[in-house]
Formats: sequence, structure tokens, C-alpha cells
Amino acid sequence: MEARKNHAHSEVHRFSLAERLVHWLVGLTFVLLLLTGLAFSYPPLFWLTVLLGGGPTARVLHPWIGVLFTGGVVAMFWIWMRDMFISRSDVVWLKAVRHYARHDKENVPPAGKYNGGQKIFFWVQSMLGVVFLLSGLVLWFPDSSGSTTLATMRFLHYAGALGAGLLLIPHIYLGTVAFPGTLRGMLHGKVSHGWARTHHPDWQRDRAEE
Amino acid sequence: MHGSLAIKRISATPGTAPGIRTGPEFAKLVDIARCIGCKGCEVACKEWNELGVEPTENFGSYQSHRDLSPDTWLLMRFNEVEFDNELHWLIKKDACLHCEEPGCLYACPAPGAIVQYQNGIVDFNQENCIGCQYCVTGCPFDIPRFNSRTKKVYKCNMCVDRVDAGLEPACVKTCPTEAISWGIKTDMVEVAGRKVEALRARGFQHAAVYDPPGVGGTHMMYVVPLGDKLSEYDLPANPTASPRPLAALNVMKKVGSWLFGAGILGAVLHYLTVGPETAPNADNDNSPIVDR
Repeated sequence: MEARKNHAHSEVHRFSLAERLVHWLVGLTFVLLLLTGLAFSYPPLFWLTVLLGGGPTARVLHPWIGVLFTGGVVAMFWIWMRDMFISRSDVVWLKAVRHYARHDKENVPPAGKYNGGQKIFFWVQSMLGVVFLLSGLVLWFPDSSGSTTLATMRFLHYAGALGAGLLLIPHIYLGTVAFPGTLRGMLHGKVSHGWARTHHPDWQRDRAEE
Repeated sequence: MHGSLAIKRISATPGTAPGIRTGPEFAKLVDIARCIGCKGCEVACKEWNELGVEPTENFGSYQSHRDLSPDTWLLMRFNEVEFDNELHWLIKKDACLHCEEPGCLYACPAPGAIVQYQNGIVDFNQENCIGCQYCVTGCPFDIPRFNSRTKKVYKCNMCVDRVDAGLEPACVKTCPTEAISWGIKTDMVEVAGRKVEALRARGFQHAAVYDPPGVGGTHMMYVVPLGDKLSEYDLPANPTASPRPLAALNVMKKVGSWLFGAGILGAVLHYLTVGPETAPNADNDNSPIVDR
């Protein structure tokens, strides 16, 4: 017990409670939206509507969960926007991303609190949030537009979901099994010194200089 | 006359339904030239299907209501159009055309919410409808209407209960001028051809049958006296069961499912080849020294 306490004491604080709450709000609502959206898009996956109480109920809840999702994305954007501006060193990091994928640490340029990949993920998902909101509102109140507009909005809503869903694969993979120690940061807010030094050395250095 | 319950297609369900019973395909034929605009068919539709009366207003037309609604499955549209220095009073019976290739059914994501019977009738089963209104995006004729109270979509069901019992639809039964007739589709196509010939003989040289091939033909056809003025009747010239945005969506769905599968496969392959990060200082080193 004492040992664990010391261990926790020497960890690096990475995410505040607000950041973690907002992240998991967006994460949970997005997964529910993605799965019910897949149910509405692929008849063999229609059974996924049971996650939200069956077809008609899922149809009613999907947009309301979208409202929660939108609120989460707005909060997330507000909290993280300033940390996410892409700098020259991010471009250097992105150019060497293949070394990062191979855990070839010698050749991975140092990253700040967020690396170039995370920053691109942030901006793309935020933009797709706008696409979801605008096309989703039209689909939520379909009476107000013609069938061609509705069909076009379905196209956009699906395109957004495809983009965001595809980005979710590396996001979850890298954040869990590929890089041990990463998930802890988003669950408990703290990471080990070694993890921080390996993945975000510039952030570590800045913290040490503070 | 039997077999309206023999199902040909079911929404969001792979394959075609086995046609255990077979029988003739029916069609309704609307001869616009014979219509006197009495709207008896509208009343018969409301009565037979027990659809509520909806208040309306005078908006300067013979038309009873401005638009179809979840409780108005049939609306006689009266378009007053001027061309050739003459006023033309164009009437169109606006209701589901019961396409052979039903765009609504193809667009529907809810299994069993839309079925097509072997006799050609396309029917909405509200108990399976989830209220997404994708059918609205698939219909080239703008027919299905959403009821925001019941959260279901409604449209003309061709009086499927009457047809199953060997009767004609209520609108056909009530029409005083036989402007609406009912029978086996191939017979009705023949009748329509004769009507068009008669109209042409009377000087309507553009008279035509409206049975658009883009939707595989319809089970409500029109004889249109001014066949060159389809848009003035609000009849699309080339309707299709798969409008362009939906066709693009369907292509992207296929591409999307491959990309999604490839993405997951990529992550699995990365894990099995490169594997997780195992460097000693990655996660278990807690020395707070910064050594870069």
C-alpha cells in the first residue's frame, strides 16, 4: 500500500479531471452514435439498435446523444485548442512517423505535450464534428427540406462517420495495447516519467524547467 | 384474385422473399383526360382507410389541401398553367405509384418496415418502421409523409386489404367517370395504349402513358393528355429508384466497409508484427530525471 502510494506520487500529471470527463463523454457518445449509425446504414448490423432499446427508440435517441456529443466536442475544442496548434517541430515529427510506428525511438523527433498525429486527429475530428452537427440537424428535422437535400445530408453524415470511425481505430489501438501506459493517463490523469520522457520529451523538459 | 400477402421484397433483408404463392400483378390506371375533378376518390380513400379529416383553407385553387400528409394519402392536384395563349387546368392524382423498383424500400434500413407484395403493391408496415424517413430520400415522387406524433411514415397502401379480398381499391370503386380503372397490369397497359390512341385521334398528339422505366414501371399508371408537359403535372420525366446522392452513398458504404475492415486488419497486423512498445523506460521507469 505504502509502495503504491509512493509510486503514484512520482508520476507525471497529464490530464485534469475536466479533460478526462470531457474525453470520455465524447468517447462514449461517439461509440454509441457510431454503432447505431452503422445499424441504420448496414441492414446486417440493424441488430445493433438493441444497444439503445431497439430500432424506433434508437432512432429517437441517436440525435439526442448527438447533442451530448456536440456539447462534449465544443468543450474539448475549448480546452485543448491552444495546445493543438501545429508547430514546425510537429511537421518534423510527422515526417518521421514511420519510425514512431516501428518503435524506432532513436529516429523519432521529440514531441511536445501532443505529437503531430494527435494534433491532426484533434483538428480533423473537430471539423467532422461540425459536419455531423449540420447534416445531423437537417436529418433530425427532415420535414424542412426536400428529398435531394436529405439524401445529400445522408451522404455527408455517412462520410463524416466513415472518417471519424477510421481515425478511431489508430486512436484506440495506439492509446491502449500499442503503447502500454498511455491509457492510464486518460483514466487516472497520470503517466509515468518514463512514458512521458519516451513519448513527449519536450513536454517533460518544459515541465522540468518550470 | 389472391396472393396480395405473397411477399416479393422485404426492406433491409437480403435476397428476395420466396414466392410461395404466385398470381397476377395488378395496376391502377388513371386517365387524366376523363377526370372531372370531383375529388370523390379523396373522400373514398379517407373513408376506407379511416384517415382523419384535416382542416384546410381556401388558397385560390380547387385543390382540397396544399399537400399530402400522414392522414392524406391521396390528393388531387389542380395545376393552373398558361401556355399556347390558353389556360390549362392540369389534374394529377397524387399518391403512391407503387413502383416495381421501389426506391423507398431500397432506402429503408428497418427489416420488414416496407414490403412489396407479389401483386405489385408496396406497403409500409408501421410496426417495423423506426421513423428515420430514409424512404423519403429514396422516393422519386415525394410521397411518404412522416407523422411526428406516432414517429412513423405513411402513404397509400393501394387498399391492400380490399385487394386481398378480391376488391378494387376504394378510389377506383368510387370514381363516377371511370377515370380510375383497375386490373391486371398487362391488361391495363393495353387499355392505356388504346386510350392514348383515342386521345391522339382527338388532337392530343402528345398523349402518352406514364409508366416510367426508371423505376421498373409503376402499379399506378397515368394516361397523360399533354405528354410533353409532364413537369406541369408535377410528374418527373425520368424518375429513378436510386437518386444520385443515394447511389453515391451506396458506393461509399461499400468502400467504407472495406476501409474499416482494412483499418482493423492493419492494427491487428501491426500488433502481431511490430507489437507493443516494450522499451524498459517506456512505462515502468519513474525516475524524474530528464535526460535527453
